[in-house]
Amino acid sequence: MKATDVALAIVDTYRGALCVSSLGTATSALRAASDDGPHFYLGAAMGSALAAAMGVAEAVPDRLVIALLGDGELLMGAGALWSVSAYRPGNLIAVVLSDGVYSITGGQQLSTQTRFAAVAEALGGIAGARVETEAELRTALRELGRPSLIEAELSERAWPGPSPFVDPARVRLAFAANVATGGSAR
Amino acid sequence: MPQPPPLAWQVVIADTLTAHGVTVAAYVPDTRLQPILSRLADNDVCLRSLSREEECVGYAAGQRIAGRRPVVLMQSSGLGNALNAIGSLAVPYRLGLPIVVSMRGTLGEANPSQVPLGRAASSLLGTLGIQSFSVRNAAAAEQVTAGVTTLAFEAGECAAVILEAELGGGREGN
Repeated sequence: MKATDVALAIVDTYRGALCVSSLGTATSALRAASDDGPHFYLGAAMGSALAAAMGVAEAVPDRLVIALLGDGELLMGAGALWSVSAYRPGNLIAVVLSDGVYSITGGQQLSTQTRFAAVAEALGGIAGARVETEAELRTALRELGRPSLIEAELSERAWPGPSPFVDPARVRLAFAANVATGGSAR
Repeated sequence: MPQPPPLAWQVVIADTLTAHGVTVAAYVPDTRLQPILSRLADNDVCLRSLSREEECVGYAAGQRIAGRRPVVLMQSSGLGNALNAIGSLAVPYRLGLPIVVSMRGTLGEANPSQVPLGRAASSLLGTLGIQSFSVRNAAAAEQVTAGVTTLAFEAGECAAVILEAELGGGREGN
């Protein structure tokens, strides 16, 4: 499973979802999978994407919100997991691209096992799952209670393609239109 | 522990934020902020106590890009924790956020560890292009708070209300 496979499973399963992607691989993969759809792509602010997704989720409670996160990203902003556990937005799914490296900075190894799904479960109020195949991922996306955290183990590291350097103004306007139109905008 | 009654400026700031459409407050706790937060809650503003100031900015950015009107509140010592999210998310995406900073490390500070960040707070914001406006007495609270929310929500610029030591309400009872 590659990062783009994970992003494709997300947009295939929930076409109307509002997605938030962290910098680097996650943003590139979501751009590739959604044909540069009207999502909230972060171009920097490493460690802030889960918190941003929680903000979107609570601002738009009638839409499903999916955060696509790098594992190094979430490690940097892991405190947000405790906040998700505290406030438990029922429309939020977090999917972690788990490959054990900081891809955007050159592929350096994370120094530790992340075990985000187990941590989420231990905190309470978050359904956690670790998946290794696309079939397992699609099942988890559909069937886990929410909020949920799905740790997707990547078996192949491949750069998705599109640049992670997004135009903030374009992202903001497209995402705002997506929110305002209830998902029918493109 | 019983809460002290709010000071006039704390009530004015909360009510002004509410009058300008603020619906959610993301914060890291602080003695002087607590009466503002209690008043915001009385005004039906949703409170979100988060784990770190950077997370508050991320959360508020998500609210703002979705069209809502959040406020971020933090102590000056936490501003350093928030700078990356402010500088590489809120500012470039023009997600105008009103930020309320409760100052430590300035007039009357007894803790030397609070001084460097307190002394630098407005300069740090200014270096990122964020205007900050001091409130030193209750009479200025409404004008400054209203002006900062207008800069944030209408002009799309992050802007800060600086709660100076002279306002009182701190844990030393000054």
